[in-house]
Amino acid sequence: MIMIRALLRSIFLWAIAAFLLIPFAIVAGVSLNPARQIAFPPKSVSGAWFVEMVTDRGWQVAIWNSFSIAFIAAMLATSVALLAAYALWRRDTWLSRSVFALGLAPYMVPPIILALGASVFWAEVGLYGSRWATTISHGVLFVTLPLVIISRGFSVLNREIVDASNISGASPTQTFTRVILPIIAPYVVTSFAIVAIISVNEYLISSFISGFTVETLPIKIFNNVRYGYTPVLAAAAIGFAAVTVGVLVLVSFFTDLVELFGGSAPEDLR
Amino acid sequence: MSAVTATKDRGWIIALIPLGTLVLFFVAPMAYMAAVSVFKNDPAAFFKPAFVLDNYAKFFAPFYYSISLRSFVQAGLGAGIVTLLGFFTVLFVSDQSRWLQRFWVILLLSLLCLSEVVIAFALLILFSQSSGIPKLLAWLTLWDNPRSLYPSFGAMMAGYVMLGFSIATLMLFPQVSRRDRAIEEAAQGLGTAPALLFLRVTLPMFRTALLAAFITLFVYFLGVFVMPTMLGGPQNWNMTVIIQDRAVERFNMPLGAALAMIMLALTAVLAALLLWLNRQQRAEDA
Repeated sequence: MIMIRALLRSIFLWAIAAFLLIPFAIVAGVSLNPARQIAFPPKSVSGAWFVEMVTDRGWQVAIWNSFSIAFIAAMLATSVALLAAYALWRRDTWLSRSVFALGLAPYMVPPIILALGASVFWAEVGLYGSRWATTISHGVLFVTLPLVIISRGFSVLNREIVDASNISGASPTQTFTRVILPIIAPYVVTSFAIVAIISVNEYLISSFISGFTVETLPIKIFNNVRYGYTPVLAAAAIGFAAVTVGVLVLVSFFTDLVELFGGSAPEDLR
Repeated sequence: MSAVTATKDRGWIIALIPLGTLVLFFVAPMAYMAAVSVFKNDPAAFFKPAFVLDNYAKFFAPFYYSISLRSFVQAGLGAGIVTLLGFFTVLFVSDQSRWLQRFWVILLLSLLCLSEVVIAFALLILFSQSSGIPKLLAWLTLWDNPRSLYPSFGAMMAGYVMLGFSIATLMLFPQVSRRDRAIEEAAQGLGTAPALLFLRVTLPMFRTALLAAFITLFVYFLGVFVMPTMLGGPQNWNMTVIIQDRAVERFNMPLGAALAMIMLALTAVLAALLLWLNRQQRAEDA
């Protein structure tokens, strides 16, 4: 009876995993098919569509746009989150609390509303259609996850170490850069990676702010799907997914992702 | 706080930088959008400053009512399915080996980070006549004249599930994996049937977490744009798509802003209502 239940549970889990993975397996197959038409399974295997993607000017521009926006947005979001989390950790005041709460808010607002707000704002400021507008909006609106992750880093930071540093005569800046930062560095790096990934993948906000002038990867994919597509699109989608997973696997080497996302510590498990 | 740092604490200055950034680039745009919602539409420019309530008045028409209702139904259905599937997945995964747990966390995180556009495209291929399920069914001689399964409500819902699944599971994972297994074991030891054990012991432990996941997904699905446009037909388009259409395709920013404000208000009311229900529930339990 217990065996059967364990078996059923495994079947359920594999079915879910299959549902989540099979679409990408098919896209991978399509991207390797040398034929002009979208088709699966591939008759033969070729990397031609990947070559076309990285050599085509349009795709190169989209890749550059996406990655440059993501890099700076991630720096911005991580810096803002680091300061907000540090302020709250130093002193639990109404100010630091409200900054924290404000940082959580964008996550609860539907993206279409953030996108619309950002676009009227940038139109008024005169930066509508500029890559800087998209970059700043990404950096500020994606602050929530870094804030939560870095706060978790601060929660494991031992105050006695910081006191020891202060008593030894270190200035607050020295304490911050020499003692605090090294300890929470993994959380900062993880936050950076996560915002970069979110930004690279984001469609609605970038399309509202600068969709007509700055074509990012998701915008290009979306437009291509709408107006007829070739297997290059499959190559782009799968290349994109591969980079995302690659970065996450890389992050998992220096941060315990299971624990970061609140899983039980290793010794809890048999 | 130690005496050393408390004596001359200027920590509040540190909080001002994130505060300023958030106010300028998050609060100000929201406030400005609220202002634009009462502006007059001007096809030549974006809009003309004014104070008119026309944009809001337009909402009170059968068309927008049905769109709102549809948005809520789709978001509710999606959130329900995802919360349920996600809960069982997390429940089972949390008992797996650490290695398998890491596999799942990376799988779910990857999905969380993947673009809506990429997920929608992958499903589009899955449901397409040339490469996906229809072709497989035809090959198995189960379907005589296969055609693409999109655009359709089902394809769009599959998109919702795939999109929200990682959010639900990653939200539920901490609580579920850290649950006190001794309670379940005790009930089991007393001879409680598995189904009863689940309904009476396991499920009540996570009522709040499940409700929180449901609300989060509901709000998230209200704002979904890519899934309805790529996988659904015009009969499946939700408020988000309509807002984008009015604001961007038809250059009517004030109307788009007014609809967005209404959507924001409805979302807020709903979230507050569900939180209140939850509090009532807990008060009853106590």
